[in-house]
Amino acid sequence: MTSTDAADPMILPEETLDELYDRAPCGYLTTTVPGEIIRVNTTFLEWLGLTREAVVGRRLQSLLTPGARIFYETHCALQLRREGMVRQISMDLSRADGGKLPALIDWRTLKNAEGEVIGLRVLVVNATDRRAYERELVAERERAKATAEALRELNETLENRVEQRTRELRDTMDFARLALGAVGGVGVWTYDVASDRFVCDDNIAALYALEPGRGSAGYSAAEFLQHLHPDDAVALNTTMTRGLVDAGDLELEYRIRHADGSIRWVLSRGHTYFEDGVAVRRTGVGVDMTKQRLLEEQFRQAQKMEAVGQLTGGLAHDFNNLLAGISGSLEMMEARISQGRLADVDRYMGAAKGAARRAAALTHRLLAFSRRQTLDPKTTDVNRLVTSMQELIQRAMGPGVVIEVVGAPGLWPALVDPPQLENALLNLCINARDAMPDGGRVTIETANKVLDAQAARQHDMPEGHYVSLSVTDTGVGMAPQLVARVFEPFFTTKPIGEGTGLGLSMTYGFVRQSGGQIRIYSEVGRGTTVSIYLPRHDGEVIEDEDQAVPSVLVPAEEGKTVLVVDDEPTVRMLLADILGDLGCSVIEAADSNAGLKILQSDVSIDLLITDVGLPGGMNGRQMADAARVSRPGLTVLFITGYAENAVVGHGHLEPGMALLTKPFAVETMVTRIRSMIEI
Amino acid sequence: MEEWVRRSLLNPLLRNNVLISGQAEPTIVFSHGFGCDLSAWSEVAPAFEAEARVILFDHVGSGRSDISAYDLSKYARLDGYAEDIVELATELALEDAVFVGHSVAAMIGMLAALKAPGRFGRMVMVCPSPRYVDDEDYVGGFSRADIDDLLQVLDSNFMGWSRAVAPGIMGNVGRPELAQALSDSFCRTDPDIARAFARVTFLSDVRAAVPRLALPTLILQTQSDMIAPVEVGEYMHATLPDSAFVLMEATGHCPHMSAPEETVAAIKRFLAS
Repeated sequence: MTSTDAADPMILPEETLDELYDRAPCGYLTTTVPGEIIRVNTTFLEWLGLTREAVVGRRLQSLLTPGARIFYETHCALQLRREGMVRQISMDLSRADGGKLPALIDWRTLKNAEGEVIGLRVLVVNATDRRAYERELVAERERAKATAEALRELNETLENRVEQRTRELRDTMDFARLALGAVGGVGVWTYDVASDRFVCDDNIAALYALEPGRGSAGYSAAEFLQHLHPDDAVALNTTMTRGLVDAGDLELEYRIRHADGSIRWVLSRGHTYFEDGVAVRRTGVGVDMTKQRLLEEQFRQAQKMEAVGQLTGGLAHDFNNLLAGISGSLEMMEARISQGRLADVDRYMGAAKGAARRAAALTHRLLAFSRRQTLDPKTTDVNRLVTSMQELIQRAMGPGVVIEVVGAPGLWPALVDPPQLENALLNLCINARDAMPDGGRVTIETANKVLDAQAARQHDMPEGHYVSLSVTDTGVGMAPQLVARVFEPFFTTKPIGEGTGLGLSMTYGFVRQSGGQIRIYSEVGRGTTVSIYLPRHDGEVIEDEDQAVPSVLVPAEEGKTVLVVDDEPTVRMLLADILGDLGCSVIEAADSNAGLKILQSDVSIDLLITDVGLPGGMNGRQMADAARVSRPGLTVLFITGYAENAVVGHGHLEPGMALLTKPFAVETMVTRIRSMIEI
Repeated sequence: MEEWVRRSLLNPLLRNNVLISGQAEPTIVFSHGFGCDLSAWSEVAPAFEAEARVILFDHVGSGRSDISAYDLSKYARLDGYAEDIVELATELALEDAVFVGHSVAAMIGMLAALKAPGRFGRMVMVCPSPRYVDDEDYVGGFSRADIDDLLQVLDSNFMGWSRAVAPGIMGNVGRPELAQALSDSFCRTDPDIARAFARVTFLSDVRAAVPRLALPTLILQTQSDMIAPVEVGEYMHATLPDSAFVLMEATGHCPHMSAPEETVAAIKRFLAS
């Protein structure tokens, strides 16, 4: 047969669209929206080895491998709905013989005239080859990743070695860099006595607000200092006059007023040269200190903010405690009045009043603390001052720090400004806390000290009688070279942003101003003691109001037993009454130490209700965790002020533990208790 | 102060891309499942805004969550996701809120509710499954090999992800912003995170927790759900102490997207009861 015979175009039928559809080199399907197959072409059926009857009416998803089915439902269906199509999804189809057909599948929605989706068109491409390439690619990528990892490790070790070898060199370069950075704003000048003129560089001209470009020709002394701040004129004159007589270096800081009204602080250091006993020339440097002065101001502000921040958390806790006591008492009064049990009302009224009184005292103390005055020394009983500060200090320290106060009996009075001494004490305690990131013990100790001639020499203080106030921590301690620097302004061992470095230097200033002295003893890894020595003063001690904090342990009736641990007595009383009304026996403890002892005993306890912030060395969460070692299923209800939500609220509450925020409504507490134990 | 700074840096609301709308009580938290993000609820959540405070969020690693918060070991357990929800609930001071979770998120919500009693008062589980892999008498619908198959499918598709699942230009005409948001969130899908989420989801087994969830719970089961078959829904219904079971008209695994009206109506009936 020749080609002419067969290729007569007239006798060959044209390709029909149906034929193209049926025999195309890809699978075509039409399905309902949920995926039931309505139409399918032969190519697709042949690939899978299925008959049309077996396929029509089935959902296309059921022909996908299970993994592909999940991927379709979780990823493709959403996109198909939103976008109207998904393209080239790489999936396997299950063949009738149990094998798989690697495919790339497109879905497209079909819409009617109203825009409603009425079905899906599906295009399936055989991707056997492509999938094989992909596998190779993935393997290659893994290999490349492993190689890169190995290279990175090699680089790191190399880097370490290089780093070790060049550390000294780098340090030197850093010093140079730091020095260069520091001399921005530094200029040089020379003063010629005979002509009374200053010659200077451009930096100095700019710093002194002088007409630029004339530095090398020079300015008359009057011109040179024309913008000197009038308040500093006397000091500068004195220094300059002295410089013409005395040999040696001179130094003075003064202010220059610029035309825009801004002030520049200039530190001027100079050396005078003499010829035959006559001063002829003085040469020096001027350093722009403005930035430092502004920074100091900011630091002072920051330190104030820091102190406020230190106190806020603790105080919020305190006030929430007291509020819980007040509002709870009021609710109980309401309940008792409605029950006609008027005899009980007095007790709640007393409790509410007591809590309100303590809140007022706390406010008072806070206000007293924040009042910053010039020194107003009074004859002071340091023991009493320490006692009055103890609660505030405990708040600032947090529950992780145990505070021990050892007041010497018969302590001599000291002449000192009480609020400043309180500030100093709080500062020392905060330092102590920061030296103990994992908690520990702070001992505040007072003592009478007699310094004889020898002891006085040792301490570098005059002989005499002193009252000492020492703060000792069990923290990280400091090496001797650090101890030598701690009183320097801006010296801080704390990370950037956490300490201003002004605390101890301010304390030092205050103590020296009060005629006393500060001494530090520190051992690395053992802790630090800072002692303030104040001169003894015999006079009448100024009285101030005082208070005491009761605590401890009362068991009660029968039924379920609940252990209540809270350092606020009003809260304990309220809880005890609520629980009593529910028919529970109540055991109370005022701190984590006492609470844990009870928990570790064999007393039956059905529920532990505990504050999160607790004195006694552990917080409530830690106490509950410790208790669960011996009582694995112990049900625990934490009650907390907002400050410690972090302790329990970071998502680590275990089953059987719950949290309620103070202040709480009695009704809420009852509901919560009922949800935790059967009563 | 340090603690405050740390907490603000790790603010769970930012971390989980929390969106809050509506003001009334109760609060309803909608939680998306594997493969989606919070936009999965876009046709359901607005229906509740008039009568509830509606909270939407992305799980870490999905949508617009803070990917830098993704911690391999934390999110290798459903507990890790549940801890996030407890943190959200704490941050938002939820009490007796309604938790609506789809698929694996229903289980994450269950774990969260057990961890923080009182935060959630009612649960709605859309196509939940406490275990996807069959186990002795338990029918999960999948074998271990099926899950490996899924991981392969993910690999295969994410390798060319941007091309493979990028939105078709044709379909965008009606809603360009949403399409943009959606393709954004898909583009952000990190292949390793998708793989890890698939693994933690489909190899999870939280059956032990189911009988402990005492909260009133609505189970929404669809017709022929290929991921959570009806046996699983019935298992949940039989095991939960206090559940209502609704077999929906809708088909497929995502009725909140394929049949939003029916889903909304079922949830509203439950909340009203």
